[in-house]
Amino acid sequence: MRVLDDFSNIFKRYDLDLEKTGEARSVSKDATLQEIAQFVVDGDDEGILPVVKKALETRSPLDIINEALIAGMNEVSRLWDEGVYFLPQVILSSDAMNVGIAECEAKMGKSMDRKSTVVTHTAEGDIHDIGQVIVNALLNANGFKVVNLGADVPVEKVVAACKEHKPVMVTGTALMTTTMTAFPKIAHQLKAAGLSIPFICGGGAVCEEYVTSYDLGIWGKEASQAPGMAEDATEGESWESMRGKWNG
Amino acid sequence: MNAKERVMAVINHQKPDRMPCFGANSTVTYEQMEKVGAYWPEGHNEAEAMARQALAAYSVLGFDAVRVPFCQTFEAVALGCIRKPGKVREFEGVPGIEHPPPYKLDDTPEFPDDFLSRGYIPQLIKAVEILKKEVGNEVPVVAGIIGPFTIAGSLLDSVPLLKATFKAPDKLPPFLEVAEKAGTTLALALVEAGADIISCEDMTASPELIAPKTYRDIELKYQRRQFEAIPVPKILHICGNVDPIVEWMGLTGADILSLEPKASARLAREKCGPDIVLMGGIDTATTLFMKDADTVRKGCEETIADGIQILAPGCAVAPGTPTENLLAMVEVAKAH
Repeated sequence: MRVLDDFSNIFKRYDLDLEKTGEARSVSKDATLQEIAQFVVDGDDEGILPVVKKALETRSPLDIINEALIAGMNEVSRLWDEGVYFLPQVILSSDAMNVGIAECEAKMGKSMDRKSTVVTHTAEGDIHDIGQVIVNALLNANGFKVVNLGADVPVEKVVAACKEHKPVMVTGTALMTTTMTAFPKIAHQLKAAGLSIPFICGGGAVCEEYVTSYDLGIWGKEASQAPGMAEDATEGESWESMRGKWNG
Repeated sequence: MNAKERVMAVINHQKPDRMPCFGANSTVTYEQMEKVGAYWPEGHNEAEAMARQALAAYSVLGFDAVRVPFCQTFEAVALGCIRKPGKVREFEGVPGIEHPPPYKLDDTPEFPDDFLSRGYIPQLIKAVEILKKEVGNEVPVVAGIIGPFTIAGSLLDSVPLLKATFKAPDKLPPFLEVAEKAGTTLALALVEAGADIISCEDMTASPELIAPKTYRDIELKYQRRQFEAIPVPKILHICGNVDPIVEWMGLTGADILSLEPKASARLAREKCGPDIVLMGGIDTATTLFMKDADTVRKGCEETIADGIQILAPGCAVAPGTPTENLLAMVEVAKAH
């Protein structure tokens, strides 16, 4: 007979299937850093500032960024992937993380070193930038510099930003089928300008078949894929190779 | 049976001669505009063009209803938002709301006394009157309103609204009150003008945007209040995968739930019981717009097998959608 050694579920109410339960794991054994991470997990962008300020008296800004702020955001990202957290929580946590990072950068007197630069935008004519908000938050949390062009961005502006910032990849989000037609135009102009960088396209209306019909295009199924794709692009993987890996 | 008898039979739980097919959302396309000689942007702001484009659903496609309007800005504009034209380069598209929004979270929104004569609402009401005169009792006239959460999202912008659902939920009721009143007031005027069915789109209430508990604890009561006040059959359409909230969607008082294929019709039936009518059928972006008629037929058959009773595009039809794909839907409906 199997002996029950875990009693934690014995009084679980199975009628409460409203939301999956899940708790953020502890990210640091250092109590100060763990406290900061918890403010990120809780999405408290006001409460986090005094705690980060106090921590900066005894801890290095880089430790706070990497071991508390970004580590906390990674937990949020995991809870989102597992369906425990919803969009509003991810946005609030990202805000809290950014407040902390800004304070640490002020202390360092310079911006934190980022792995590489990614340009993000939402298609021209499309004002629904929710998908992009998530992509920005996750890229930021994973140490990439995000050049956020916002919503309703004309084709030329995307191409100009890529020429200026020389990103390792560029992302485009579209919620409407009427606006995603801007993507092949962007891809075409980037190629013509000699910028054959991976162009990740995703969002409500966008499907794999469409994105892989033009050069540079890689279909982004979920926002949570963005950091992994940015890692590949940073390592110099070509768009063809990335398409083979992430699509099909 | 004519189209109206067919649709009403399903709503009244009687046996129709065959499955009806129509959209809970806009079904206008560029090809239909060419056929009826009425175009955008006029279709978004002039009653005559709006009515002519809506009629195409019946006269060109053979759908079992005609529906106005084709964007989600009517209530918001009457409440102070500015309409952003849908034109992108050479394409006339669907209008949205201009940034920045008229309100911040700490403001108190107002419901204007002359709401029904503001913005483009008089044209929408007139379009319903024209449609009613044209189709009489042959074809049901479906008139669209926007749900409270989505209108609140136009008034505040979506990111501040989403943050407030966790950070300051107590600041949302004044916005939801005004938003609910706007949709309800418009619905009653549209019913008086001749609408047979009210279709409420509430995309911002989707679990892809807000937490399910926010829907249950905040939005549900406003939707209930709204539907209780509307004396004709109601369709509730929420975009995306609504599985986590479908049980409560069934408690709003809606007669019909309109589902995207990514939501489970089987689960909706299980959670909402036998009285609710389910409509839906095919993904508007990945299938209806992108694929061919055969794929459309196959997709429709699959959702019918899952318990759909009214065949419909899963969401608003992309204006570039080929006519033959929409005709394929009617063909499938006729065989059931």
